[in-house]
Amino acid sequence: MNDAVENKAIGLKEQLLENDRKFQETGCYAGITELKYREEDPLRYESLHTKLRSMSIAAREMARSISASPGVREVGEMVVALYTPEGDAISLSTGIMVHVHTMSRFIKWMIQNGYEDSPGICPGDVFANNDAFIGTVQVPDVMVVIPIFHNDELVGWAGTVAHELEVGGITPGGDVYLAQERFTEGLFVCAEKVGEKDELRRDYLIRLERNLRMPIYWMFDDKAKLAANLELRDQVKELIDDVGLDYYKRATREFIEEGRRAQLSKVQQLMVPGRYRGHTFYGHLTEGKPGILPLGDENLLYSIPLELDVGGDGHMHLDFEGTGSWGYHSMNCTPAGMDGGLFVTLTQSMNFEGKVNDGAWLATDMNLPSGTWTNPDRHTVATATSWALLLPAFGIFQRLLSRGFVSRGFKEEAFVGQVNSPMVEMGGQSQYGSQFGMAMFECSAAGSGALGIKDGIDNGYVGWNPESDMGNMEVWEQGIPMLYLGRSIAADSGGPGSNRGGTAFTSLWLVHNTDEVTIATSEHSSRVYDNAGMCGGYPAPTAHRHFTVRDSNIQQLIGEQKPLPHTLGKDPYTSDFDRLVEGEKKEVEGPHIDKPLKAGDLFAHSYNGGGGYGDPIERDPLDIVRDVENGYVTPEIAQRTHAVVLEHDEERNAWRVNSEATEARRKEVRNNRLNKAMHVKDWIASERERVLEKDFVTEVHKMYQDTMSISSQFANEFREFWQLPENFTM
Amino acid sequence: MKKTTPLVLGIDAGGTMTDTILVDKQGNFAVGKAPTTPNYESEGFIESAQDATNIWNLDINKTFEELEVALYSGTGMLNTLLSRTGKRIGLIVTRGMEDAVLMGRGLQSWAGYSYEDRLHAVTHAHPDPLVPLSRVRGVTERIDHFGQVVIPAYEHEAVSGVKELLEQDIEGLCVCCMYSHVNPEHELQIGEAARRVFAEQDIDIPIYLSHHVRPIIREQSRLNSTLIEAYATSQGREQLLGVETAAKQHGFSNSMQTMLSYGGLADVRYPRLHETMISGPVGGLLGARHVGELVGADSVIVSDMGGTSFDIGAITRGKVPIEDEPTLARFKLNLPTLAMDTIGAGGGTIVKVDPYTHKVSLGPESAGSVPGPVAMDMGGTEPTIADCDAIMGRLNPDNFLGGKVQLNVDKAKQVLKEKVADPLGVDVYEAAEGMVNMLEMEAKSSIESIISSRGVDPGEYHLMAYGGSGPLHMAEYSRGLGFKGVLSFPFAAAFSAFGCTTADYLHRHSQSVHIMTGPDSSDKDREEARRQINEIWSELDSQARSELISEGHETDAIVCEPFAMMRYTGQLEDVEVAAPVTKLESDEDLDKLTQAFEDLYEQINRSVSGYGTAGFTIMELGLNARVEKVKPELSRRPLGSKNPDPEAAKGKRSMYYNRAWHEAQLWEMDMLKPGNVLEGPAIVEHPATTLVIPAGDRVRVDEWTILHYEHGEDTQNSVGNVL
Repeated sequence: MNDAVENKAIGLKEQLLENDRKFQETGCYAGITELKYREEDPLRYESLHTKLRSMSIAAREMARSISASPGVREVGEMVVALYTPEGDAISLSTGIMVHVHTMSRFIKWMIQNGYEDSPGICPGDVFANNDAFIGTVQVPDVMVVIPIFHNDELVGWAGTVAHELEVGGITPGGDVYLAQERFTEGLFVCAEKVGEKDELRRDYLIRLERNLRMPIYWMFDDKAKLAANLELRDQVKELIDDVGLDYYKRATREFIEEGRRAQLSKVQQLMVPGRYRGHTFYGHLTEGKPGILPLGDENLLYSIPLELDVGGDGHMHLDFEGTGSWGYHSMNCTPAGMDGGLFVTLTQSMNFEGKVNDGAWLATDMNLPSGTWTNPDRHTVATATSWALLLPAFGIFQRLLSRGFVSRGFKEEAFVGQVNSPMVEMGGQSQYGSQFGMAMFECSAAGSGALGIKDGIDNGYVGWNPESDMGNMEVWEQGIPMLYLGRSIAADSGGPGSNRGGTAFTSLWLVHNTDEVTIATSEHSSRVYDNAGMCGGYPAPTAHRHFTVRDSNIQQLIGEQKPLPHTLGKDPYTSDFDRLVEGEKKEVEGPHIDKPLKAGDLFAHSYNGGGGYGDPIERDPLDIVRDVENGYVTPEIAQRTHAVVLEHDEERNAWRVNSEATEARRKEVRNNRLNKAMHVKDWIASERERVLEKDFVTEVHKMYQDTMSISSQFANEFREFWQLPENFTM
Repeated sequence: MKKTTPLVLGIDAGGTMTDTILVDKQGNFAVGKAPTTPNYESEGFIESAQDATNIWNLDINKTFEELEVALYSGTGMLNTLLSRTGKRIGLIVTRGMEDAVLMGRGLQSWAGYSYEDRLHAVTHAHPDPLVPLSRVRGVTERIDHFGQVVIPAYEHEAVSGVKELLEQDIEGLCVCCMYSHVNPEHELQIGEAARRVFAEQDIDIPIYLSHHVRPIIREQSRLNSTLIEAYATSQGREQLLGVETAAKQHGFSNSMQTMLSYGGLADVRYPRLHETMISGPVGGLLGARHVGELVGADSVIVSDMGGTSFDIGAITRGKVPIEDEPTLARFKLNLPTLAMDTIGAGGGTIVKVDPYTHKVSLGPESAGSVPGPVAMDMGGTEPTIADCDAIMGRLNPDNFLGGKVQLNVDKAKQVLKEKVADPLGVDVYEAAEGMVNMLEMEAKSSIESIISSRGVDPGEYHLMAYGGSGPLHMAEYSRGLGFKGVLSFPFAAAFSAFGCTTADYLHRHSQSVHIMTGPDSSDKDREEARRQINEIWSELDSQARSELISEGHETDAIVCEPFAMMRYTGQLEDVEVAAPVTKLESDEDLDKLTQAFEDLYEQINRSVSGYGTAGFTIMELGLNARVEKVKPELSRRPLGSKNPDPEAAKGKRSMYYNRAWHEAQLWEMDMLKPGNVLEGPAIVEHPATTLVIPAGDRVRVDEWTILHYEHGEDTQNSVGNVL
């Protein structure tokens, strides 16, 4: 008898509980203590896994070709996965890996909430969800799943998720920054049955048509997701006919258990056991912005500490104790979203080969303190831009892993990694004369953090999708009433280091063929670095400033064939808007919430680069010459931060290093550092005075007030570290 | 002299060897081989052709006079691109796009990677640009996606940009403007300005306008195509014309053909030669499909190991997947291509051990044909895989290239000992096998990667192994992968060339459009749509016909098959719909076209994803112009004895395999007959290739004289012996 094959007589809910019980009891997924099928016939076993993964990949490719959304077609914001009846991921395509486990939560939620009885789970049914408290990250991440029945038995689920470009929120786009509670985030589909008999219900499609600014994206994407699921379902059913149902059930569970074991082994191989700690901060600058409601009308600073415990058995425990409370803003995250962040980071650093599935997730766990932004205790909290805090949080995780890799000698695996990449969202009147809404997913190709052995990836990485890309401008322009005047490397956007952080790019647009376009960008840390460097590397600068010129004289400039702005320029003090254009100029810090633009206006936005690795003054001067000549680094930063002395050859328009002067300059920098250095004990003593006096700016003071009140553990540790009186409070 | 009438000559010039296949009307093959002569490819071409004609004792001039078709496909242009040894190009783009040469597409940092490496982000890296930023200039201009001029081109910037680029001694100028495929006005204007500057300075260098090279949406892909055309094809074109001249000097009266990436033949004067750059592997795919149809193996993984590279592709149920946006040398293109993957691994691959760290590595450099492996004694100083094979007795030192080259095994041994074995502290034979196994493991993992990324179930597929080095290493790179069957061919070395001979003349012409019809379209709109479609198809028809006629084809032989790239309005991906009629005479014909789209769409994407109420948009109109060509036949003979004829036996030789010496039976490939079974340890020799069968494995010859490689149940996996 196949002991891992569930009893058909019991319901799904009982099956789910039974699986959990077996996991608790044996420590192995679904009580699978030996990988019997793998041992008996490894070729057959591997062949099944290969087929299932291939089916998911092929289904995703099909769905991408159906989609109307450049987010999906052009930059691949989609993932397809196959699940067990209880909702555990067996195999998955590439793409936005973050959603593999969020979809798992959605399936489990339906089971736990009695969907078998009502609304019923029948062959041909289609379920959809974008409620993060049920299982997704944010409203635009709309998932569609279908049950897979073999004869009368539910044997699994096929699920597909895509990031929608327009969700009908208070401002156009998908990541609706201005949502301060659930009620303005856009259209919610809360674990609903949206289709029957393999078709989407007409009333669901009507609801989409009537509640979205640009329904075609979501509608075609849902059709694409359903088509992908049906394709996967039908192929899986055929495969079950070939291999037999019992074999399928046991083998697919063995895949997950193997994935769990592989994750543990990988941790044992790559990491040094012990306790790792990291920290980052996130600045939120919104006070007084148009549309901010009284409850959320303040600037905030978020403290995000992370403690990672690596056990000798390879188990990892992440603890966010000490982080801040949820707030009236859109950056809160649900446990489902945090799962997503964990999963996508694991798939990029450890869980990328062999059985990539929920096993890796089972080999890790997290403490997400209730009431914090990681686990809000109220489901009406907004999560529309949860990536704002999520990415910095898992950026720490990536750096902690990298510390482990470096300690163990795997320097080539060290990756300062993920960064925040704020998105431009817009809507209004399109160039076709109709209404439109769009999230510009070109943000999916920021600069990565540096690596242990080389520079970060320039314009080619974001944490949520390792298959990062920015797409073609000619494709984006078909969906927006704006023309690119330029898309250029954003100088100095990568953190300096002996290995430089990857740089991002700046887009500059001329608004065209419209009387009204509203631009709303998603949140990103302002004034505070949210992704650090490593081993002496600097963090990447924050890039959250937006530039507009209204009522510009661009037509006059064009008529006179005068130079136009194509980038913000390489002078940090004077932008090309300032130098070249006349009109009503504005620089907005923090999210861009402002009155609409019209044809002839200009808008510029930069994405984010990654942190550096190693001391910037150890960077090879010849690499810096290459950086300067190609616009990755300005001569100013090269000389100031990297301490190289460069000389410009006007005739050849080339740069060269003055080696002797560089050596001397670097020596001087080292000496300056030594002169400036003080004993840690002295520094702590002086800072302690400031802490005792609560000598902080408002945001820092409020941050400590919040974190000390929400976490007694943090408060105690804080007092202990600074040797404060027991009754000390903020 | 043999009484045969040669019909088709196919030549495939690889990085190392130039392979020839000569096919006669009865379906007999003669395989010729000669080292590739990269500087004057025509020399290697004639030598290789001579090698083939010698086998049948034919006079080379008479053969060329009688030949109906000669086709030549080479990897010269691809190698130019891979080794970054192309022309010094200058580039003018829409101002603001200059950084595109560095930024590329984000996806170029991972495209073509395996599933694992796609996830494992630390492996991602952009390809090196073909043009440095210092040779890029912007011209202020903008055209929107409707084709309207929004910012007229600043001609003075074009003039100064061209002058600055000329100061940098450019050898070619590329121009790529936004939406030039919709309205080429600005590219033409910049091109004219450049010509005037050239004339003033008395400079004659080519200008490549992106809308001429590839008039398709997606500026980055268009830019890549244009740059590659300019960077890598001009030397290639001279070589092709040189090959044709050489053939004509020997009496050939037609024009030389070459192979396009989508599997058609084109005259060597074809204006968009970058479309031929992945043609070598394509030949193998076409050959595999042709053979597969004959022998009932319609799902095939092809694997071609030559001297420089290892190419892998998949044919599923007779269909070769077409990739619309393939990557070429990691650059994204908009060029329909028969899907293939390539890694740098072949007989000429150089093996290295770092003298300090003792890190062992393979290639990707190849010794090529010049200087070639050490054992060829032509000046090679770095040990290669072929040297390892010679040291292990797997290659016959007296019969390399049919005995034309005497291998100096002692020299190879000495170099391998000094550069690899001694630094590692191992025996020279152990070192040789370790390196060979490393190569085989790389090849195997690239097959595994195609299995994983293309959704292939090996149990339903045959593996075809060919190329000069394929049969030498196939035993290990195919072991344990679970294929339905593993096949090779007596003419394995020239299989790609053979594949090219199975192709038709096929040119594809297309034009970007934006034609919408939908439920709300008025009769007038529909009539206008039909008018536009008919007009473009008709223009393309005359363009295609005149191109083929100029290549010497008869008007009557040309068949033009129009197509439309269609989508539901709002979508971003097209489906290529073959036109149900060549001209839309009536309103019903327009319905027939949309119906054909819906039928095909449903077949590809399932009916649930259809959305007729959104209307239909045609993004591109095109046609495939085809002229059928004579094709070679394989001859089928009854199965005979299991034992080869005694004259096929060539004695025995010691062969090192699995860390031991074995007495291998030697066989002559061309003497094998249908029904023969060869048990390992054995080596089957052919002037152009060598098949190695380790102990425990065997090879069966079928009625088509195809070789079926069968792995023994218990044979030790030699790949475990990696250093």
